[in-house]
Amino acid sequence: MPLIDAMDVHKTYRLGRSNVVRALQGVNMSLESGEMVAIMGPSGCGKSTLMHIVGLLQPPSTNGTKPVLKYRERDMTTLSDRERTRIRATEMGFVFQAFNLVSTLNAVENVALAAEYAGQPKPKAKASALDALGLVGLAERAGHRPMELSGGEQQRVAIARALVNRPGLILADEPTGNLDSANSKEVMELLRRFNREQKQTILLVTHDPEVGKACSRIITMRDGKVTAV
Amino acid sequence: MRILRNLARRKLRTTLTVVGITIGIWALVVMSSMANKIGALVDGGSSYFADKIIVSDSANLAFGFSSAPIRVSVAADIEAIDGVDVTVPEVDMLLDPDRSGPAFNIPDRIVASMAGADKGREKFPIKAALGRLLVPEDEGKNVVVLGSDLGRKFNKKPGERMTVRGIEFEVVGILEPTLSAPDTSVWIPLAAGQALLLETLPDVMQREFKASELASSITVYPDPGVDIPALAKTIEQRVPRTQSLTGAEFDEQVGSAIAIFNAIILGVALISLVVGGLSVINTMAMSVAERTREIGVKRAIGATRARIVREVVTEAGVIGLFGGTLGLVLGAVVVLAANEAGRSSGTILFQLTAGTAIFAVVFAVILGMLAGLIPAITAARLDPVEAIRYE
Ligand SMILES: Nc1ncnc2c1ncn2[C@@H]1O[C@H](COP(=O)(O)OP(=O)(O)OP(=O)(O)O)[C@@H](O)[C@H]1O
Ligand SMILES: [Mg+2]
Repeated sequence: MPLIDAMDVHKTYRLGRSNVVRALQGVNMSLESGEMVAIMGPSGCGKSTLMHIVGLLQPPSTNGTKPVLKYRERDMTTLSDRERTRIRATEMGFVFQAFNLVSTLNAVENVALAAEYAGQPKPKAKASALDALGLVGLAERAGHRPMELSGGEQQRVAIARALVNRPGLILADEPTGNLDSANSKEVMELLRRFNREQKQTILLVTHDPEVGKACSRIITMRDGKVTAV
Repeated sequence: MRILRNLARRKLRTTLTVVGITIGIWALVVMSSMANKIGALVDGGSSYFADKIIVSDSANLAFGFSSAPIRVSVAADIEAIDGVDVTVPEVDMLLDPDRSGPAFNIPDRIVASMAGADKGREKFPIKAALGRLLVPEDEGKNVVVLGSDLGRKFNKKPGERMTVRGIEFEVVGILEPTLSAPDTSVWIPLAAGQALLLETLPDVMQREFKASELASSITVYPDPGVDIPALAKTIEQRVPRTQSLTGAEFDEQVGSAIAIFNAIILGVALISLVVGGLSVINTMAMSVAERTREIGVKRAIGATRARIVREVVTEAGVIGLFGGTLGLVLGAVVVLAANEAGRSSGTILFQLTAGTAIFAVVFAVILGMLAGLIPAITAARLDPVEAIRYE
């Protein structure tokens, strides 16, 4: 039973009467539980768009086609915003290229935020957040604001935030895109360790062949279509 | 705490917004305190006039500081009318003869009547804080009882001497505060008042009348259960050259003046609502725009729309709370300082009540939250994907 099942997924942006961008043109993909998969392809081929749709951040377009999007066998195409938000909060974790921590909150508060959104009361959320920071080796940086952390450290806090609710799926869009090679390596080792030790399913986007090699499978895309699985 | 950190991101902007609300609430507090004071005066007057009819010479235009005197003998004619219980001739004049025309505060007054002449009918509660009230035996003597504000204004105690309109009086008592007209009045025996009244008349009249024949007005206490407006009409018809004022007429006359004042306060409240509200909307809209990406990230990792709304609205409410509290403190300082300064001259203009204080702060908080609602909804409607791409 696949964790994610996507078939005939389209995404079309209408910028004007005749200016239509077909970001995704009938993508088929599936993801098994426990896999660590990289999506690769040239810039603008639709990697991020696919990831946002799988991550329930935006729905697929339904212009004439009947897209399938299932998470644990559940149909995701008919959910309300509230239901999609709930699944994002409890069953998915996001890591972004630009780290995207909340600048006014320190490391542990940033991580705890995700736990609070998943419904944990504040004290419990903070305890979970400290645990997660321990897993990424940043327990002693808990009180630091993002400004006071290096890029690599910020991304590890972001990984702790993605991990804190033990979600079924972690989605990472170019998680090493803003990091030097040493920090990239460290981040990838963390992700691989969670994949191996906690059977955490991970879907990531990357341009870096090294990162691709670290994954169990690569999905290649071109011009809004999947060309190799 | 998180809210404070968000507000601290743009200290100057937050401060300016808070100041905007502070000014509005400050004005609201000061104006309302003035309205409270005037309201207390009016309530005092209203309950004073409720159970009686004031009869004066028909030459007087409006009720109040009668200038044309009425003959004391008229009291007997009125008392002969069915439904009249007791009549009390009274002299009523300004304490300061040079003061004329309308002024902002209630002018100090002299009230003279024979102690006990009301035969226990006067129910308006007046108590002596120091010394005593007037008694029938005072008639013929130059003694005076001071309202509480005037006691402080002239800094007098029982036993001390005081000049009233050029005549020397002995202070025998100081009243407890009533928060209404008696606070700014002095009481003297009827004969002393009649002598002062005669002095105010033109020479021709001075030669024609004896002081003891004169009064400013006659206070009429009706029999219990009598229709007061009807009795007032009867008096005007049966006794020549009289006009009467009842409690209902007092309420009507004063009520319209109060309505104007309340409209001014409402205007101030509305202006502060609009100005304060707009500046909160502006500030929160800017703050939401600056935080577009952050809001997108929060939505992505699971914040519901309701939570985003709550976050922005709470922040706006805290701005309102700061502005409201500061406005209240500043308003209280002004009110207390003005009252302190006015104490020496006996003009207490303001009365800041707990109700006004609570209302001002609650009003500011609700105003902030309502104003925050518009940017909050904008924030909650952001598309997370676009917000995350936003630079
Ligand atoms: N909101 C939008 N409106 C219009 N076009 C868009 C929008 N978002 C994405 N696109 C277009 O869709 C296409 C796919 O974009 P996407 O971000 O998925 O590419 P990508 O593969 O992630 O590229 P990169 O490697 O540079 O991140 C691009 O041509 C992009 O310009
Ligand atoms: Mg991309």
